[in-house]
Amino acid sequence: MRRRDFLHNTTAILGSGIFLGTSLPSALFAQETPVSGGTLIWGHSETTQNLDMHQTGTASSGRVLQNIHSSIVTVDKDLNVIPGLAESFEVASDGLSYTFKLRPNVKFHNGAVMTSADVKYSFERCKDPATGAVNFEVFNNVAAIETPDDLTVEIKMSAVNAPFLSRLAENGAGVVMPVDSGPTQGTNPMGAGPFKFVSYEVGTVVKMARHDEYWEGPAHLDAVEAREITEPTTRLTGLRTGELHMINDIPLDRVGELQGNATLQVKTWFPLNFDFVNMNHTFEPFKDKRVRVAFDMIIDKEALMQGALWGQGATTASPSFPTSAAFNKGLKQRPQDIEGAKAMLAEAGYPEGSLNVVFKATTNYPYHIEAAQILVEWFKAAGVNMTIEQLTWADWLSQCWVDKDYQMTMMNFFTLWESDFLYYSVWNSTGAFNYRAISDPVIDDLTTKARITVDDAERAKIYQAVQQQILDESHDIVLWFRNGTIGAQPAVMGLDTVVHPNGSNLNFHKVWLKA
Amino acid sequence: MTYVLNRLLSVILTLFLITLVTFAVTNILPGDVAMMIMGTQSNPEALEGLRQSLGLNDPLLVQYAHWVGGMVTGDWGNSLIFKKPIIELLGQKAVASSIIVVMSMVIALVLAVPLGVWAAVHRDKWQDNVSSSSALMGVSLPDFFWGIVMILVFARWLGWFPSSGFVDPSVNFWGTLQHAFLPSLALGLGLMAHLTRMTRSTMTGILSQEFIRVARAKGLAERTVIWRYALANAIGPVITIAGLQIGYLFGSIIVMESLFGYTGMGWLTYQALLNRDLPLIQYTVVVIAAVVMLTNLAVDLLYVVIDPRIRLG
Amino acid sequence: MKRFKTTKGLIGIVLLLLIALVAIVGPMVIPPDAATAMDMLARRAPPSLAHPFGTDQLGRDLMYRVILGTRTSMEIAVSAVLMSIVLGLPLGLISGYFGGFIDNVLMRLVDTLLAFPALLLALTISAVLGPNIQNTIIAIGVAFTPYLARIIRGEALRVAQMPYVEAARSSGTTDGMIMLRHVLPNILPAVIVQGTISLAFAILAEAGLSFLGLGTQPPAASWGLMIQASRDQLDIAPWTALVPGLAVALTVLGLNMFGDVLRDILDPRAK
Repeated sequence: MRRRDFLHNTTAILGSGIFLGTSLPSALFAQETPVSGGTLIWGHSETTQNLDMHQTGTASSGRVLQNIHSSIVTVDKDLNVIPGLAESFEVASDGLSYTFKLRPNVKFHNGAVMTSADVKYSFERCKDPATGAVNFEVFNNVAAIETPDDLTVEIKMSAVNAPFLSRLAENGAGVVMPVDSGPTQGTNPMGAGPFKFVSYEVGTVVKMARHDEYWEGPAHLDAVEAREITEPTTRLTGLRTGELHMINDIPLDRVGELQGNATLQVKTWFPLNFDFVNMNHTFEPFKDKRVRVAFDMIIDKEALMQGALWGQGATTASPSFPTSAAFNKGLKQRPQDIEGAKAMLAEAGYPEGSLNVVFKATTNYPYHIEAAQILVEWFKAAGVNMTIEQLTWADWLSQCWVDKDYQMTMMNFFTLWESDFLYYSVWNSTGAFNYRAISDPVIDDLTTKARITVDDAERAKIYQAVQQQILDESHDIVLWFRNGTIGAQPAVMGLDTVVHPNGSNLNFHKVWLKA
Repeated sequence: MTYVLNRLLSVILTLFLITLVTFAVTNILPGDVAMMIMGTQSNPEALEGLRQSLGLNDPLLVQYAHWVGGMVTGDWGNSLIFKKPIIELLGQKAVASSIIVVMSMVIALVLAVPLGVWAAVHRDKWQDNVSSSSALMGVSLPDFFWGIVMILVFARWLGWFPSSGFVDPSVNFWGTLQHAFLPSLALGLGLMAHLTRMTRSTMTGILSQEFIRVARAKGLAERTVIWRYALANAIGPVITIAGLQIGYLFGSIIVMESLFGYTGMGWLTYQALLNRDLPLIQYTVVVIAAVVMLTNLAVDLLYVVIDPRIRLG
Repeated sequence: MKRFKTTKGLIGIVLLLLIALVAIVGPMVIPPDAATAMDMLARRAPPSLAHPFGTDQLGRDLMYRVILGTRTSMEIAVSAVLMSIVLGLPLGLISGYFGGFIDNVLMRLVDTLLAFPALLLALTISAVLGPNIQNTIIAIGVAFTPYLARIIRGEALRVAQMPYVEAARSSGTTDGMIMLRHVLPNILPAVIVQGTISLAFAILAEAGLSFLGLGTQPPAASWGLMIQASRDQLDIAPWTALVPGLAVALTVLGLNMFGDVLRDILDPRAK
C-alpha cells in the first residue's frame, strides 16, 4: 500500500485531522465573510525569551515566531510535507539530492524579494555550530547547497537521510531569513511570514503588525499583541473580563467549565504532546525487566489521566502521531494489577517495603506534580516506597536530562516529530535524548535500519516494531496524549485555522475579529 | 564631615561585600543557563559551544573580576535568556517596581497613620483593640494570599481593575496606575500592621509629653492638638520606620509581581533565578541589595536629623 | 502574670496552646495516610459530614491535611527560628560585648546580609541547596540570622555598659564568664520576644517559599503548600484556601498577640 492510501484509511478511522472538539455559541455556525482590521489581544501562557528562530528551542517563542517566519516546506494536517516558500520540490531517486523551486516575488518584511541566496544563507546559518541552532543536526548530511538560479535551490546530501524533508517542515529548520539578517534576528526577527515584528517588552508583550505583502495574501488582522501571562488563573480571568480576546493553555481543570459557558469559545485539539514515565536504566532495580514491567502494572493509565489531566487527553501505548502511518494501532497498555505487580517484584527480589524510589517531577508541568502524587498512593499499595522531589525546569534539565542523575521521572515530547527523530533520539542507545540510558540491541537495529529504508510503508512497519519492543520491555511507560486548548471571545473568528499541525504553534494568518 | 566620609566609605565597602556574597552564592547555583536556553534540544557539543561563547568556562576569579569591572564601567552585558542589555532590562523593571513600592507605601501610610492615631487617642479602650486587630489581619496572612483574593474580587467579580500586566508609564500613565493598584494594595495591607503599631506607640509617647499638656491647657481644640501638634512630631519616626520596611518590601514583590504578571524587579529576579541566567541574577540581586542598603542609610541619616538626641555611635 | 489577663493576652495564649496541641497531638491521633488518601470521586468537594473541611483537587481530606500541616509548618518555623538564634546569638553577643573593632567587622558582615531581602536570601539558598524540609529550615534560619544578630547586639551593647558588668570585669572575671553569667541572662528576654515575632514571620516565609515551589514537597502537607494549591481554585473551591489561610492567620495572630504582651512584660523600656 502506498503511503498516501494508508494515511487516508487511518484518517477515516480516527477522524480527520487533529481537532477534537470545539464548543461554539450556536449563532456562529453560519459562514461569515472575514472582515479586515482589528488587533488581536492574545494571552500567551509563557514568556518569550529568544526571538532568534534558529536559536530558540522553546515552544513559547515558536508560537510567536510562527507568525513572523515562513518555511520552505510545511506540513498539512495529515503530516504530509507540502509546499511552503518552495512551490514545488523533488527528491532524486537515490535520495542524495533535493531540488526546490521557489515561489517568485515573495517579499520579506523589509521589502526585499526572496531568492535562492536567502535560502542558502538561512540553511547554512542553521547548520553552522557557531549559531548555536537548536535544529542544526537536520543539516548534518548536507554536503552542499547550490543555487543554479534565483528561484532554484539544490541540496546535495553526502548520505541518504530519509527524514530530511519532514525535518525541514518542522519549526525552525526550514525557515528562510534574508541574507545577513542573522546577527539581528534575536532582537529584531525578520522573515516572510504573515506578520512583522514590531516590538518586545520583556515579559510583558510582543507586538506584531500585518505584513501587507505576505505571499499567501495579507492577513485579516491589523496586528497581534501577544501578552505574556504565565499565571493560569490570571490568564483565564483576563479572558473572562474581556481584557484578552484569546488565550492558549486553559487550565485543564477549567476546560469543562468553560465549555459550558455560553459566551466563550473553547477549542481543544489533540494531541499536543505525549507524556511518559521514565525509569533510569542505570538504577539497579530498573535493570531488571521484571521490575520495570511490575511498575507498569501498578499504574492505571486511564485513572491517572483523569486525575492529572481532568480528562483532557487520551491514553495511548504509542507515542507516534495518531494519524501517522507509524502509529501502532494494535498496541495496548497493560491494565492495572497491583497484586500481580507485587508478585513480580517479589520474584525479582524486592518484597513489600524493600524498594525505595525517588520520583523527580518538574514544576514546569504542574500536571506532572499531580500525577506524581497519585502515583505515590498506588505504589504505596504495591509495597514500594516512593517519594517526590519537585524540581524547577532548570534543575530538571540539569539533573535528569543532562546528568542523568535520577531514579524515576516523567516527561513529555511533542507528538509531531518525524518518526526517525523521535525513535532514534529517544530510544536508540546513542540517541541524543536517551536520558534513561536505554541500551536495547533490538531497538538499535531497528532504528538504524529505518534511517536507510526509503520506502515509507516499510519504514512505518519498522517503527511499529520499535513501539512493540518498548512496551514489551517496558523501557518507559507511555501514558497519554494531552490536549491543547484555546479559549476565545465570541468575536474571534477563524479559530479552526489557528493551530499548526504540529499541535503547538499558533498562526494568526486567517484569524479575524468580528466588528 | 568625617562622619559623612566615614559613612561613604562604609557604603562602598558594603557594596563590595554585597557583590562578593552575590557572586559566591550565585555560582553555587546548580544547573546552567546553556541548558536552559537549549532546553530539551540540549546535546553535549552544542552545549559546550554555547557555554564557551557565553564565557561560562573561565576561572571564577576571572569571571568575578570581569563582572565587577563591567559593573563599574557601566558595561553590564546582556541577559543570557532575554538577549537584551541588562541595563535596559533593569532600567525598565526598576521603574515598574518603584511605582509599586511608592504606591504601597502611600497606601500603607494612608491607612496606618489614621488608624494608629485613633488607637493612641483611645488607648486601651475598644478602639485600640479594633485598630490593632485589623492591622494584624493584614500581616496574619501572606501578602500573596491577599493578592489572590484581590484578583478575584476586584478584577474578576467587580471588574474595577485589570487582573494582570504592566503598562509603561510613558505610554499610558493612567493605565500604569490601574495595573499597579491591586498589587500595591495587597502589599500595603502587609505593611500596614507594623506601621499602625509604630504610629500608635509614637503617638502615645508624644501625647503624654509636656507640650501637649500645655497646648490643651491653652484651650486648643482637641482635634488641632492631635492632628496638628502631636502627629507632626510623630510622623518623622513613622516615616523612617516605613523606610526601613523597604527591605521587606523588596522581598515581597518577588512573589507579588510574579502573581500579577507585573514585570518589575521582583519578577525579573525570579525569572533570572528560575532560568539560571547568571549575569541577570547577579545584577538584579546586587541592585536590589544596593537599593535596600542605600535606603536604610538614608533612613539612618534622616533619623539623626529628626531626633538629634540619638547618638551617632 | 497579671498583664496576661488582658483580652489580648488571653486570646493569644489560647490560640497558641491550641496550635501547639494540634501540632503535637494531632498527627498522632489521626488515622495513618489520612492526609494523602485520595477520593477521586470527591474532588474539590465542599465541607460535608464525610469531609468536614472539604477536599482538595486530588480528593484529599482537608481537615487531616491541615492538622498534619500544622506540625510541618510549626516544625519548620520553630526549627528555623531556633537556628537563627543559635547562629545569631553568639554573633550578636560577642559583637555587642566587645564592641570596637570586632563589633565593626561583625556588624559590617551582618549589615551586608541585611541588605538582601530575607525572602530573596531564603529563595536563593533554597535554590542552591535543593527543595526539601531540612533545606527550607536552613534557608529561613540563615535568612533571619542577621535580624536577630542585630537586635541581640543592641541588647548586648546596652547590658555591657551596665555597672555590674563593669564590676565583674574589674574583679577579674573572664570575658566568657561575664558573657555567660551576666550579659546572656539579661538579654534573654529580648531574645524570647524577638523569637516569638520571628516565628510569625517564619510561618509566612515558609508559605512564600512553598508558593514559589521551593520548600515543602508534595504530597506532604504544609500550610504554605496548601495555600499554593488553592490559588488556582479560589473561585470554585474557596475552602481550599480558607482552611490553611485560617490556620496561618490564627497562628500568626496568636503569636503577635502573645509577643506583644510578652514584650510589655519582659521589656518595659519598649513602648
